[in-house]
Amino acid sequence: MGPYDSSISPAAGSSNSSSSACSSSTKPPPPDQMDHLLAGAGYKVRSNELNQVAERLQHLETVMVKSLPVDISEMVNDAVYYNPTDLASWVDSLLTELNTNVTVPEPVPVNTDLSDLHEFPSGMNVYGSNHAPEMHGEFSQQAVTPLEEDVSIRLVHVLMTCAEAVQRGDLSLASLLIDDLQALLGRVNSGCGIGKVGSFFVDALSQRVVNSPENGVVQVELTAYENEILYHHYYEACPYLKFAHFTANQAILEAFDGQDCVHVIDFNLMQGLQWPALIQALALRPGGPPLLRLTGIGPPSNDGRDSLREIGLKLAELARSVNVRFAFRGVAASRLDDVKPWMLQVSPKEAVAVNSIMQLHKLLGPGPPIDLVLDWIRDLNPRILMVVEQESNHNQPEFLDRFTESLYYYSTMFDSLDACTAQPEKSLAELYIQREICNVVCCEGSARVERHEPLVRWRERLTSAGFAPLHLGSNAFKQARMLLTLFSAEGYSVEENEGCLTLGWHSRPLIAASAWQAIPKPSPATMGR
Amino acid sequence: MAGSNEINANEAKKVVPLHTWILISNFKLAYNMLRRPDGTFNRELAEFLDRKVLANTVPVDGVYSFDVVDRATSLLNRIYRCAPRESESGRQLGAGIIELEKPLSSTEIVPVIIFFHGGSFTHSSANSAIYDTFCRRLAGLVHGVVVSVNYRRSPEHRFPSAYEDGWETLKWVHSRSWLLSGKDSKVHVYLAGDSSGGNIAHHVAHRAAVSGVEVLGNILLHPLFGGEERTESERKLDGKYFVKLQDRDWYWRAFLPEGETRDHPACNIFGPRGSSLEGLNFPKSLVVVAGLDLVQDWQLSYVEGLQRSGQDVKLLFLKKATIGFYFLPNNEHFYTLMEEMKNFIKSGVC
Repeated sequence: MGPYDSSISPAAGSSNSSSSACSSSTKPPPPDQMDHLLAGAGYKVRSNELNQVAERLQHLETVMVKSLPVDISEMVNDAVYYNPTDLASWVDSLLTELNTNVTVPEPVPVNTDLSDLHEFPSGMNVYGSNHAPEMHGEFSQQAVTPLEEDVSIRLVHVLMTCAEAVQRGDLSLASLLIDDLQALLGRVNSGCGIGKVGSFFVDALSQRVVNSPENGVVQVELTAYENEILYHHYYEACPYLKFAHFTANQAILEAFDGQDCVHVIDFNLMQGLQWPALIQALALRPGGPPLLRLTGIGPPSNDGRDSLREIGLKLAELARSVNVRFAFRGVAASRLDDVKPWMLQVSPKEAVAVNSIMQLHKLLGPGPPIDLVLDWIRDLNPRILMVVEQESNHNQPEFLDRFTESLYYYSTMFDSLDACTAQPEKSLAELYIQREICNVVCCEGSARVERHEPLVRWRERLTSAGFAPLHLGSNAFKQARMLLTLFSAEGYSVEENEGCLTLGWHSRPLIAASAWQAIPKPSPATMGR
Repeated sequence: MAGSNEINANEAKKVVPLHTWILISNFKLAYNMLRRPDGTFNRELAEFLDRKVLANTVPVDGVYSFDVVDRATSLLNRIYRCAPRESESGRQLGAGIIELEKPLSSTEIVPVIIFFHGGSFTHSSANSAIYDTFCRRLAGLVHGVVVSVNYRRSPEHRFPSAYEDGWETLKWVHSRSWLLSGKDSKVHVYLAGDSSGGNIAHHVAHRAAVSGVEVLGNILLHPLFGGEERTESERKLDGKYFVKLQDRDWYWRAFLPEGETRDHPACNIFGPRGSSLEGLNFPKSLVVVAGLDLVQDWQLSYVEGLQRSGQDVKLLFLKKATIGFYFLPNNEHFYTLMEEMKNFIKSGVC
């Protein structure tokens, strides 16, 4: 035991996902558990594989030493890597790549019983990577005077206190606090930072307090046209949707490799902005394009236009101009769980890609729609299910938790918008985001559709629904970073997260993209074996 | 050369625990892939490989963290603070609220350590897993605040970018009302860093001393110094414990202005082009040297240089330690270091 143990004090209420490894324990962990020392450095290695990994690392070094540095750089430039967290497979992939014909040397006896040093039982708990709101970051700006900084901080405090009052049902206090908030808003710069996003949250809170705090409000429905305008402005003002489309197309393209008949099912066609790039990429692929079918799902028109059909026609026109055989089908459904698989007319000979950009979370409301939908997706046997979701937990049961998390999530997002000076008119993009905020804060029950959940939850869900991850690799990572150079603001960051990619603002991921394939269900014929 | 590499691997394995060997070897091999012979750096792959962690306002082992971005410079700092002890908490706020309106304490002194992560000026970030873990330990150890600076890295940003970022952070830290502590109500600032971070800490402290900005102490963990001359430790230890001399050279070429030599004052502090520290109000220093680090001769001459200039310096020489011994709490050097750092900071806190 080291002297350091005395300063470890588990904090009350700390939600540590790895609750083992108390400092006084000398019992070794079960062998197939993940090693917690390396976990603290971001790597997952099974305790019983440590020696093996060490041997492979040593072998890797031996092989690398035989290569010239310039050859290694070249190899690295062309290669694609996946999931560096899984250290064992990472080392193996490097070894395979170096195409070693060198016979594995006699395993060097690994000397863990050291003459001078001993392996100390670890006194440290692993810090569970708890998903928590990014704090304060967006409220502290050097450009802001100390007085303004104080007001910003107070604004956040009063917002939280008000939300707490709403949760408790203390409406009279909540109303008073909303008056306070309006006054505070008057004292900050409402053009940027906490002033702007704060005003949206104050609005949302006051709507909820004034209307029906328990049952929530129902948002005013926009026309299809209005929705499209907002969406389009959001698409232009910041890179989140572009990143989603871009990354998805990459993965879909790879999944369709070698396939002659492909069928993409888009869970939210909108203006079909994702598809021209895929059509063009397919047109250019070596060996020629496949026959491409696109099924676009979208809400039924409420303004007399058949927008699904219009988009389909435009895409067909584009496909024709680049000689891609193309067929489009629109499926009108107000909710995803209204879609029945037979409407999609999937043929067994096609390679299917299911594309869900910010849609699955809408199925997390009351009832089991998500399980049913994931089930029929699996039945389609897609080669790839592409899932892009907001990286935040806005679906917690307690109102205050949702409020807090969304406050910081959207502040970060607004900050990123603010920093993009090259993109012009942003107010419509902000309105798009504001509607999301309003849904999270004001709505309840089936009206609350913006039920965002973080990647770690989606992984659990999709794994239990019978999907296996398809890792997004370093090429997708590289291309996403190149995309970001088109946006003038420097704070956007792409990160690799165990085979998934996230796009965020500075160190806070805001959007997560992951790819999945369906594990075929055991057929009745094989189950007897 | 393959034979000697196996010998070297065996030697390194004898002196470090298995986990440490795996961790540092993995870095070593990955870094080999990232450095290009023409002096450029594969930044994309580096960012892809770097394991990062989120800030977490929910305290874990008594420490929580959050990120602050300076809009003007786009510089990110990750702040680590200790969760209030039970007796200190007043109003019970919702999860994640941080009391940023009040000073840290009006009675006690709470140290604020500005930390510069290592990586030879090129690798890692403030939110890299290994450094996030280290900073959390540090914050808990001294029961203070750690400000980890996400300074700009080479080769994209050469000298003096990292030093400037450090200087900006020092000024920023001094101007935060919520970092004040003690009856004298000031920010009690220390500078700390490992490897290139140690080098940055020295230069920021130097500028602070010249400009009259207060720094109470420097902690330099096997800091990165060098020079044109080849020292005995560089010759003897080249390639033996994870580090090759030619790699060190690469990083200096990537950091120093193009065409410069390693006798540049950024690198060779007390060399032919260095300036004297005599008479300066330079902070007291704790310099930690790993006995199996090939840079040690430069670190030891740094200590001697400080002594010759009449500055207060303590040397902690860990004979059997390799670089990176402080990443995992699985060896005695780790615990010795923690104890020394705690005492060093405490002795400044009266």
